[in-house]
Amino acid sequence: MNDAVFSQLTTLGSSVVLIFGILLLWRRSVSAYISSFRWQSTVLAVVLAVIGYFGHDPELYLVAGFSFVLKAVVLPHYLERMRSRLDVTREVEPYVNYAASLLMAGVLVLLAYVVTRPLILVSTLPTRSGIPLAMGLIFVGFFVILSRKKALTQIVGFLVLENGIVLLAALGTYGIPLIVEIGVFLDVLMGFLVMQVLVYHIHGTFESIDVDQLNQLKH
Amino acid sequence: MTFLLLLLPPVLAAFFAFIIRPYRRWVGWLSAVLGLISLGAALNFAGQAIALGLPVAGSVLTAATFGVLVDSLGLVDVLRADSLSALLMVCVAGVSAITLLLSPGLWREDHYTPAQLRRFQIFFNLFVGSMLLAVSANNVGLMWIAVEATTIFSAFIIPLTVSKHSVEASWKYILICSVGIALAFTGTVLAYFDFVTLAGRVENALNWTVLLETAPALHPEVMRIAFVFLLVGYGTKAGLAPMHTWLPDAHSESPAPLSAAMSGVLLAVALYAILRWKIVVDASLGASYTNNLFLGLGMISLLVATFSMVLSKNYKRLLAYSSIENTGLTCLGLGLGPLGVFAALLHLVNHSVAKSMLFLLSGRILHRYHTTEISKVSGLLKAMPLTGSLFAVGILAIIGLPPFGIFISEFALIRAGFDTGRPWLMGLVLALLAVAFVVLLKVLNQMLYGQPADGVSIGEADGWHIGLLFLSVAGLVVLGLTLPAPLMTLLTQCVAIVSQ
Repeated sequence: MNDAVFSQLTTLGSSVVLIFGILLLWRRSVSAYISSFRWQSTVLAVVLAVIGYFGHDPELYLVAGFSFVLKAVVLPHYLERMRSRLDVTREVEPYVNYAASLLMAGVLVLLAYVVTRPLILVSTLPTRSGIPLAMGLIFVGFFVILSRKKALTQIVGFLVLENGIVLLAALGTYGIPLIVEIGVFLDVLMGFLVMQVLVYHIHGTFESIDVDQLNQLKH
Repeated sequence: MTFLLLLLPPVLAAFFAFIIRPYRRWVGWLSAVLGLISLGAALNFAGQAIALGLPVAGSVLTAATFGVLVDSLGLVDVLRADSLSALLMVCVAGVSAITLLLSPGLWREDHYTPAQLRRFQIFFNLFVGSMLLAVSANNVGLMWIAVEATTIFSAFIIPLTVSKHSVEASWKYILICSVGIALAFTGTVLAYFDFVTLAGRVENALNWTVLLETAPALHPEVMRIAFVFLLVGYGTKAGLAPMHTWLPDAHSESPAPLSAAMSGVLLAVALYAILRWKIVVDASLGASYTNNLFLGLGMISLLVATFSMVLSKNYKRLLAYSSIENTGLTCLGLGLGPLGVFAALLHLVNHSVAKSMLFLLSGRILHRYHTTEISKVSGLLKAMPLTGSLFAVGILAIIGLPPFGIFISEFALIRAGFDTGRPWLMGLVLALLAVAFVVLLKVLNQMLYGQPADGVSIGEADGWHIGLLFLSVAGLVVLGLTLPAPLMTLLTQCVAIVSQ
């Protein structure tokens, strides 16, 4: 009984997390991306806490807390500040248009089911049905980075991909060891800071943050 | 204890550079001396490995002082050094030491502001520290964190002078490598997932030694997926084609000492991470799966790099493509059985020495000629006799002429290919090597001779410290003429570790 509830809750949570990822491909304004990411991280923190509760692993509460503070509060705040300072409003003409992007997202989620099939077969955890959704989110994040032109959108795509990995680790293993988890958080934070500095540099030298003008280096 | 001597000096150097403001020359010298201490520790590890043949394990935080912390964070046996790590430690610490000795801010010819020099010293030392941590980590999670940290720290100093080019290069670098390395983490998680499914949540399950013990029982179908993620992920960092697109930009736009360390050893560290995982996956799947992937990626890298070299008009980019070519060769060798692994690791050592030297010299050439275009550089021997001749020696070494080490390692690699019954593949490799040979010789010819352009000053000026690079030349010649017995032992031990 407990397991059934647990399984349903995590699958539901993972689906919501994935949907917030796919929203990135559908919405156009950069502030919508940031709020999607914020909500996604919030739901992710809840899923982590749920896994911690049913899986009897108090460490995961800590990870959920960290994750919430970093990804639902701190990073969105900085992203929002960057957005208003650089005055970016919307993603104009991505490399892949919106309809095709959504179609692609569907294909990627299917692909995730194919890739993770062996994992589901060997796993006995009640959380296993969420694994393909987490893998799908990783692929969607990857696709956002590839198909969008604004540096800011690419950062959000990277953070979404990172969320996918955290979700995958939590669903598949009830969380990687705490020390590694902390290191990963530090890396995400530091990586984000470098990217932020670079976005300001890009804005300063190129006077916009469209990455398609980053094409000066050849041969 | 030795781990502390290895890992603490770069951190200390970064700390001093951080608190001393503005930059002072002695800070640079202190970094260089601390770099030599790290090198000493690395050599000590190598010595222990050669003498005892035993892996050294240990936590930096000893159980007596930090017992609670060690227990609660699961830090037991978090570091480990065997022959393979020792080999990489010596490469990393050696290249970093010589780079630090020749880095800006120590000698009189400064073209950076004190603020830039301070930033360089802070992040370069942290960068070196994380590479050393990556090769001494037993915990594969920690290894991942360290590799990711190298990306972050180096991305801070690629745009040391902010320009359109350097900003573009560092954006591509941080974005592509972060994504790549995230995929490697996915692979790590997948492998850990399989371990947990099989053995439950055990302490230190992410330790390489523990994974290796369990490996034969792991599910092959899961390990297959995990390895693809790991290979693509760390392969991005290692500059293997087709994930190499960031490399020529980042390596050519970085300040010369950073290019030297990135091309010389960072690529090797990323390959090391793949190699560690190959050992685990081989224990589960048998070697042929990973070998074929290695051969494929190695071959693609070799092809792409060689043709990019033909098209390249910029000498720093040319050197960067040559790094991709050599990483490809190393990768190829790792997929060719024991003799191939031996040749590949020897090649890795040779390439570290030769390429770091070439990039350090290219920085001096750029500073004098103010251009990276090959066609605008001529009369190098007249303008800078010492730099020019060292550059020539470096190029002759990298194209694989005797008496330099790369000749031996390439020869051994080709032989390994023939021994394992792949004559056609080796024929292709030889043809590609010949193309690279011609391209590099042609470029060398253009750059060395003729008259320097107007406005280029003549004479080595105050740059005689570059003579330190004769150490690199000596190293390459020694590796080419004899294979010193200690190195031979170390490499043989490494081969035993890889093909266990």
